[in-house]
This record gives sequence, structure tokens and C-alpha cells, in this order.
Amino acid sequence: MRPVVFRLALGALCLSELSACGGAAIVGTSPPPAPVASAPAAAPQETDRLGPRPALGAARDVRVPPPVVFKTANSVTVWLVERHALPLVSVTIALPAGSASDPADRPGLAHLTADMLDEGAGDLNAIALSAAVSDLGTTLSIDTGVDASTVSMTVLKGNFPKAMRILADVVARPRMEARDFKRVSDLWINGLEQRQDDPDEVARVVIGAALYGARTPYGHPRDGYVADARKVRLADVKRFYANQWRPDRAVAVVVGDVTRAEVESALGATLGSWKAVATPAPPEPDLSSLVPAAQRPRLVVVDRADAPQSVIAVVRDGVSAGSPEAPLLDLVNTALGGSFTSRLNQNLREDKHWTYGAFTAFTHPRGQGAFVARASVFVEVTGKALKEMLGELENIAARGMTEEELSKVKAQDRADLVQTYEIVGGTAQRLAQLFSLGLDPSFDVKASVVRQGATLQVLAEQAKAHIDVSKATVVVVGPKDKVVRQLAEAGLGDPVFWGPEGPMPTARAVR
Amino acid sequence: MNRRALRDGLVATLSWLLLASAGDASALDVPFQKYALPNGLTVILHEDHTLPMVTVNVVYRVGSRYEEQGRTGFAHLFEHLMFMGTRRAPTKMFDAWMEKEGGWNNAWTSEDYTDYFDVAPAHALPLLLWLEADRMSALGHEMTLDKLDAQRDVVRNERRQTSENQPYGKVELRLPELLFPPDSPYHHPVIGSHEDLQAATVDDVKSFFGRWYVPTNASMVVAGDFDPAQTRALIERSFGWIPAQAPPQPPPIPPARLDHVVRETIQDNVQLPKVVMAWPSPDRYALGDAELDLARVILDEGKSSRLFKALVYEHDLAQEVKVSQNSRDGGSDFEVEAIARPGVSLEQLETAIDGELRRLASEPVPAEELARAKTQFETKFVQRLESLVERAMVLNLYQATKGDPGYAERDLQRYRAVTPASLQHAVKSTVRLDARVVLHVVPKEKAAGEGGAR
Repeated sequence: MRPVVFRLALGALCLSELSACGGAAIVGTSPPPAPVASAPAAAPQETDRLGPRPALGAARDVRVPPPVVFKTANSVTVWLVERHALPLVSVTIALPAGSASDPADRPGLAHLTADMLDEGAGDLNAIALSAAVSDLGTTLSIDTGVDASTVSMTVLKGNFPKAMRILADVVARPRMEARDFKRVSDLWINGLEQRQDDPDEVARVVIGAALYGARTPYGHPRDGYVADARKVRLADVKRFYANQWRPDRAVAVVVGDVTRAEVESALGATLGSWKAVATPAPPEPDLSSLVPAAQRPRLVVVDRADAPQSVIAVVRDGVSAGSPEAPLLDLVNTALGGSFTSRLNQNLREDKHWTYGAFTAFTHPRGQGAFVARASVFVEVTGKALKEMLGELENIAARGMTEEELSKVKAQDRADLVQTYEIVGGTAQRLAQLFSLGLDPSFDVKASVVRQGATLQVLAEQAKAHIDVSKATVVVVGPKDKVVRQLAEAGLGDPVFWGPEGPMPTARAVR
Repeated sequence: MNRRALRDGLVATLSWLLLASAGDASALDVPFQKYALPNGLTVILHEDHTLPMVTVNVVYRVGSRYEEQGRTGFAHLFEHLMFMGTRRAPTKMFDAWMEKEGGWNNAWTSEDYTDYFDVAPAHALPLLLWLEADRMSALGHEMTLDKLDAQRDVVRNERRQTSENQPYGKVELRLPELLFPPDSPYHHPVIGSHEDLQAATVDDVKSFFGRWYVPTNASMVVAGDFDPAQTRALIERSFGWIPAQAPPQPPPIPPARLDHVVRETIQDNVQLPKVVMAWPSPDRYALGDAELDLARVILDEGKSSRLFKALVYEHDLAQEVKVSQNSRDGGSDFEVEAIARPGVSLEQLETAIDGELRRLASEPVPAEELARAKTQFETKFVQRLESLVERAMVLNLYQATKGDPGYAERDLQRYRAVTPASLQHAVKSTVRLDARVVLHVVPKEKAAGEGGAR
């Protein structure tokens, strides 16, 4: 498709490796003071027909009703939000079977297992299942993050029972046949080989390896490595499925035009026969692993010959989703690199024009989180851009943010909620994510209350503790012959050269 | 048969928008009020008090097909300049003031249109309108070389990031040149060339603004949680004084004809080769346009779609397949793309694709398959309208293309009216194997040895 060309990269503010992306915010209690309009400083002398910038009233509060929580007879947790404005229902089923649960020698197994779920299930083969979904006019989305795998669908109210039948077959009765496995596995391995073509994907893989270690629960890519992928067999998938995909670990989040009685009836008829295996639930993986700062490389370069831009990233450890610091760090992040007017984007894009966009994010997974600052910059300014990026991080770590920034990021926090919970599909997915992170359903409301009460001093302390870059790792994906010289001035020492799969030996495509 | 199931499905589909509206009509209905200011600005108001948010969407009927010789990429560059400020709202303040209230914005440019949208908590609506009126009235007059240079470089980096440094990204830069003749305004990609972006001057900005960014050439949707009477008055105060100007004449579009096969191979930093086939196709809303949208669904949506089934599921030929009907005012194109699996040649892939295209052109689609495609298309179409921002954009695009924000229902009727025969006819007359562009993308290191890889 010939895309239209956007002013901003859509979704650029979201880091793809870790499942917890951005902090959803809920408008809480106290509205902000009404902004006072001032006459623009440079207003023309003569009467301006448009008049001065208008004074605005106060923002209205929003209430986000928490879901009703209950369990089915076979121990599936249900979070239900009734919303009757439109006859739509969205369902997300989630399990804590993310890539962090991959066996050490089978990275990507959770991803592949989820990918096999809709390759035939219940009475339907893969094609018939897909046709049944199409006949409901919808699509079935399956996704694997670090902490969870999810299966989702949004349908018209009248199709809810049919949709539940398909979803239940997919999560509880996948066929997992050899013929389908061969195809899915081939496509997976080819996709991993293609991953090295994409500089952003390479950066994602390398960042994880540098920070967490290439063979750790959070350090290996969600989608695995080429060499290991070739070793994965259908039996591995079946074993992983049997251990991980069980009703006592699942949540079904239902949002939309449906009542509790309708949900109980549909779930009972479809998911009711899903039985847990007798074995105890698998143990939680060690989610705290982190390469000790002293052992992390300071500067990693991945060569991408002839590339017109370099991807530059500064990465260090962050905090978990449940940490009391997480909501506060989201505010700091908005000011630093989380919105268009953030310091980093203003500097690298609007002041220097070296990039289409620069951003930062704290990922807040269930376990050890990360901080990443990232941009794609014109190759000739790779060194200078990195210096500016490090400078912005050092600056906010040393001095915190301004009063004006605090007011902005709180307003952004209040507005985020409305949009996070606007449509049924987005609501279901955000709530499923909260479940997977071990957070309670009203987490976003409570987190926003914390954010709205934050002071400059508290945020300065957070920035100092979590954005200090003295132990950060710098990752650069760009043409080695042009960038290495530029990086010499950064004072990060000699670079470590990695391949597109980080420190893993590079497996080239076999053709 | 399925026809009936489909109809029932549609009744259900449509009813939710009726519920959403106050309406009692029997068709897809997003309620709105439309009027024009004396200076020619079209205004469309759509109330929805579900959440305390508003969006303002402004479409200017100008895009890359309106660009002058030697100025490719200018319409999109101009879009970036629209955020660079005026005397009233100095550089950076457009974004700063909006974000301060919890708002955000974005914009996009296509060959035919440029669309700006702002999203914010409801209380900030007066600010959004003020900022839009400010730039509609003053942006071009207050342009400077500093502002132009800044966004020129940002846009060149956008080109590098989204096309040049992306796998297969060079296809979208080259395809329009192969598909449309040099005198066609669709001959170049929206993003333009580095050379032309470098050549743009402040005078270009001023004259482009004076010509295309006039009230008669714009339409504005205000959607969400607002008081209509107050908002009408505010719009009149903010925009009503902007001087009227004669509506500009869009440049003519010579018809695109392709009567032979054009082949080209480009090299890229990729592991697996890709084939892209493209045809000039019927204009937006013209006979055959809806048919090709549904042909797209039949060919590539879901595992039961024809190309997926033939190339990915039943035979180990393709890593992925993708089909699109890109509808434009006068330079649409229909595209089929596939990435080969390791060891599969692009010739093998072409043969398999051609087989499916020939079948679609020579045999009527079974009724059940067409019904499924319609359900898929229409449900997606309607679900898009759940989001306020999307709904406002849809209203405004119907205004821009049809002069009627409420055209959605009639648009859907085009799809409902598609028959196996009309679909077959559209495919047969557009998707011709003897008249098309066939572009190969091959891995760099292999290109030399492969000689005439075709």
C-alpha cells in the first residue's frame, strides 16, 4: 500500500520489546486550575480580528468504573465492564505465558505456541477457523509479550456467543497438528532471518541482550533467535501449552454491551469444559536478572552498511510495573521524551533537525524494567546526536523538571485515561495487561492519583535515581565505517561489535 | 442463503450507530450539522457527549498531485510547516499550548488531500479553534527561511527513516514513477525527492499557502463533547473574518494508461526477494473501485483468502502476501505484493500469483465467498467509527471527496451492490497480466550474480 505520509511516526512513543508500553492514566480527582490566558507577547499592535488566545475553563472529571470481578466454576478469572452505548463486545483472554516463561534453550517458544493456537482448534482446521472468524466480520488477534500471551476479538453484540465459542476453542482446544506446525515454524524462522533487515528490530534485540543478558527471561527477544528456532519441535510446543495454558491462570476480560448473566452463560458453555492439568502451575520465572552494570558493554555497535541513518539508543535498568516509583517515572518520561514537546524530541527534531523523532520510555513489566531513549538520526550527525541525547538525560537527572513541565505532564496524564479507555477493544486489552502484570483492575485510577499529587522535588529525586546515565549502555545500529569515528568523542571507550542478534552468532539465511 | 445472513448482520451492524445517534433513520447515520461561513469555509459539527473530549479535523483539498514541476514533496513539507508558528503563536507554541491542556495532534498528506487533527479534553476546544484559525489566516504570510530549513531537514530524515532505511522501503519511492507517465501528477511519491525538497523556497511556501490554504478549499469537523450554539458562535468569531478568496482550480489529471508490461529490479538490504505487481485502477468511487476493494479482501484477508491459501498455506512459496486497492481522485492503483520463501524464485511466485489472478478474472466468485468478503469489509468499516478521532476524519474525508459528510451509507451501498459478475468484470479489465508494472526487490549481495533476475 502506498501510505500517506504523517507528520509524526504513529506509535513511535511505544517500545516494542516489553509488554508494558506507556503508562495508561486515569483522570482522577482534582481538576487542574483553569489555565490563565495571557495576551500573546508578540501580538500585533492593530486590532487583531482573531483576538487573543482564549481563556479556558476547567477540565471535567472522568470516572472510569472498575470492572466487576468474578471466577467461573473452572477457575477462570473474569473482569467485566458493561458499556451499553454501542452494540459491540470485546473479549481478551490473557495468560501469564509470555516470553519470560520460555525455557532457556527454547527462546521464542511462548510466541510460537501462541501462534499455533489458531491453526485449527476444536472441530475446525486452520482454514475453516479463519473463515469462521471472517464470517463474524472480525479478526482474531494473538499476541505474546514478555509477561503474557493474549487472544482477542471484537464483535457485534449478537455475535458474542459465537465469538466465545471460537475463542474458547482456540485457547482450550487447539489442534496443534504437524502439518500446520511445519508451516508456522518455517514462517517463524524466515521471519527471524528477516528481522535483521530492519534496524529498529535489530536495536530491540540488541538492547535486550545488553541490559538483561542474551539468554535471560527478559533479555532474549520475544520471538527468539534463528539458531534456537530451528531446534524447536512440535512436542516442545505441546508441552509448553499443557503447562502454561490452563484455566486457573487465565483471565477473560469482557468489555461492551453485555450483561453478567450473558457472560456467565457464554463462558460456561464454551470455556466451562477447559480443565487444568493435575500438575501444579509452573513456577514464576526469575524476572530480576540484569547484567551487572559493571559488566554491561558501554558502547555496542551493529554494522549496517550504507544505511542513511543510525538508530541510537541509551539504555539502563528501570523499575517493575508494581513499583511505587513506576507512576512517577511515567511523569518524568512524558517531560523527557514521552510527547512531541518533550525535551529530547524538541532538541533532536525541532532544534537540530537531525531526526524524524526522538523518544524515551520506561518499560514497566512484571519484573525488572528498563529505560530506553531512542532516535533514528542522519548518519553524519550520529556522534553529535548521541551527545545531545546523553546531555538531555544528564540534565533532567541533575536538575529535575520545571514547574511548567509538571503542569503539562499532569494534564497529559489526565487526558490519557479518556483515550486509553475510549474504545472497547483498547479497554479490554489494557485491563488484560493489568491482570498479567499482577496489578489490580483499578490500578490506573490509583496511579493517576499518585501522579496528580507528585511534586517537583519527588520527581527530581526519581529522575536522579533512574535516569543517571553514568552506567548506561549506548547502542548504535548504523554503518560502522562512518559512525565509529564519530563515537570516539563520546568517551565511552572502544565499541563492542555485535551482530543483528546481539552477541549470538549470526545465522544467515540459507538460500 | 448467505445473502440473508449478511443482511441480518448488516442490520445489526448499522443499528449501533443509530443507537449512538439520536436518529431514527434506517441507515448508517453519524449525525452532524453542516454549514458554510460566508468566506466559504465548510463547517461540520458532530456532537458526542460520551466522554469529555473533542477533536478538530481540518482537511485542505491539496496534496502531492498539486505540486509544481521540480517541487516534489512540497505538499507534505508544507504540512510540517503548518506547525512552525506565527506572530500570535510563535514557533513551538502550537504544540506547547495544546499539550499543556492534555491535547495532542498529528497530520497526514496524501496525493489528494492534507488532513490536520487535534485531540484534547473538551475544555480546550476554544484553544484548538483559535490555533487552527491562526494558522489558516497567517501561516504563509509569516513564513521564514529558518522555519522552512528546519522542517526541510526533518522531512528528509522522515524519508530516510520510513523509506530508505526500511526493508523494501524503496518500492514506494519508485513505483509511482513506473506506474504513471511523467506528465501525470501521480508520477512521484508523496514524500518527494531530496533534490526537490532542497530546492523549495520561502516564496514557494507563500504562494502555495495563498493558492490552496484558503477557506473555500478547506472543511473543518468539530466532534465530541461541546455546546453547539456556543461553538457555532466561536467558529464564526474565529474563522469568519478570514478573507474569502476564489476557489482554486485543481490541476488536470491526464488518464493513466498502461498497455504493456514494465519490469524493473531494484536491490535492497534484505534477506528474501519480493515481487510487487501494480496496475492503474479505477478512481475513488468509480465503477470497479468497490469491486477491487472486495477483490483485495478475497485475495489476502485471513487464511481462507485465495492468495494466502495458495502461496502460504498449501504451497511453501511465500513468506507473506499483501494486496491493496489504493483509491485516489484520478490515479488509483491496485497492487499485489509477495515475499518469497528461501529457495523460491520470483518467477515461481509470479506464476502462482498469476494463476490466482487469472482465476479471479475468468470465474465468478462463489456467492458465499463474496458474502464473507462483504461482511469483513463492512464490519471493519463500521467499527472504525467507534473512535471519535476516526469518526471525525471519516466525516471530513466524505466532505472533501463527495461534498457530503454523510456519504458513508451511500458508500456502503456501493459494496452491497457488488455482484460476482461486476467483480469479475473489474478484475478482468484492470488486473491484466499483459499490462502491468512488475517490480522485483532482490538482496544486494545476490544482485550482481543473478544477472537478469526477473
